[in-house]
Amino acid sequence: MSGQIMRNPKLAWREVDGEMVIISPEDSQVHELNETASLFWKHAEGKTLDELVERIAAEYEVARETARADLEELLAALGEKQLMFVAPEAKE
Amino acid sequence: MYLGKTAGVVHPVDALDRCVPLQISIGSVPLSLFIREQALLEPAIRRYREFAHNSEDGFPIVLEKRETRAEESGEFSYLLDDAKLVLRSQGAEFHGVRHEYALDSLLRILLTMVLLPQRGFLLHGATVVRDGRAYIFFGRSGAGKSTVASLSPKGSVLTDEISLIRYSNGCWQAHGTPFWGEFRAAGQNRLVPVAGFYLLKQATEERVEALSVKQALRALLPCVLFFTSEKRAHETLLRTLLGLIEEIPCHRLYFRRNAEFWKVIAA
Repeated sequence: MSGQIMRNPKLAWREVDGEMVIISPEDSQVHELNETASLFWKHAEGKTLDELVERIAAEYEVARETARADLEELLAALGEKQLMFVAPEAKE
Repeated sequence: MYLGKTAGVVHPVDALDRCVPLQISIGSVPLSLFIREQALLEPAIRRYREFAHNSEDGFPIVLEKRETRAEESGEFSYLLDDAKLVLRSQGAEFHGVRHEYALDSLLRILLTMVLLPQRGFLLHGATVVRDGRAYIFFGRSGAGKSTVASLSPKGSVLTDEISLIRYSNGCWQAHGTPFWGEFRAAGQNRLVPVAGFYLLKQATEERVEALSVKQALRALLPCVLFFTSEKRAHETLLRTLLGLIEEIPCHRLYFRRNAEFWKVIAA
């Protein structure tokens, strides 16, 4: 998976005490992210999953497979709520 | 869209001759209601009599008798049953308003949009004044807003249903509104500095619990009257609410249906 990770551009959000509060204007749904998901929300925008795996593996000294599994799980949870998504790769 | 200043506005329709506007002010927002229908004008004058305001530069609102047309559009529009609000930077049009209740509803929707850039909003809440400060008791339908209002001294209730909050003169103020629930009162057109917000929770004891910033935001958001799905408007609302929560204490109030709750608020 090498497309860029993006926030849903329709959402309004603010950081409150280090955690994200996100509003979906279309249905007024309010989402709150925990600390880990909030960090992901802040730093994953515009990066690929591969880039994040490398960074997490290096910074936290965890195996790439572990980092990838955790990030994929987080991304899937955010994707399910339509908060973030992986943009399709641009064709050459 | 900036709706903060209304001076020098151009009326949204030209044919306003022989129609004297009903001048009112709600939440320090001057409004000029152009109502041609006598059957609607008379109840409107009665309904908003406490909010009469002599101003030349009220934000013009033109009530059109004709039915809404599908192509009617402005910078913001909202359809409510058969009535429609079309809002432009120069003024607003209300279409298909058949009775004062529809007029009231469209006015609330309009105010949410006009107040937003001015750090103001409408909230499902009762406002009670005590010792010169406003206490906002908020919650969804059935939370006890009218109960709290009914337990408060006569003349101390600014509204039992829809509170109007805005930042002005360096502090957060609660304004009286003509938007009432069970009390059916005319309202009081005055503003009072806000002491605190209390999310109502009926219980078997009186108790006050301080809310964290996030808890307060989570409590307030569903109680704010909001009718637009525009992202920037939601961002502005979030910014406004967080600014308010930083300055004004927010609590959860556990209360029984009696006036004992004032003891825990004062404590």
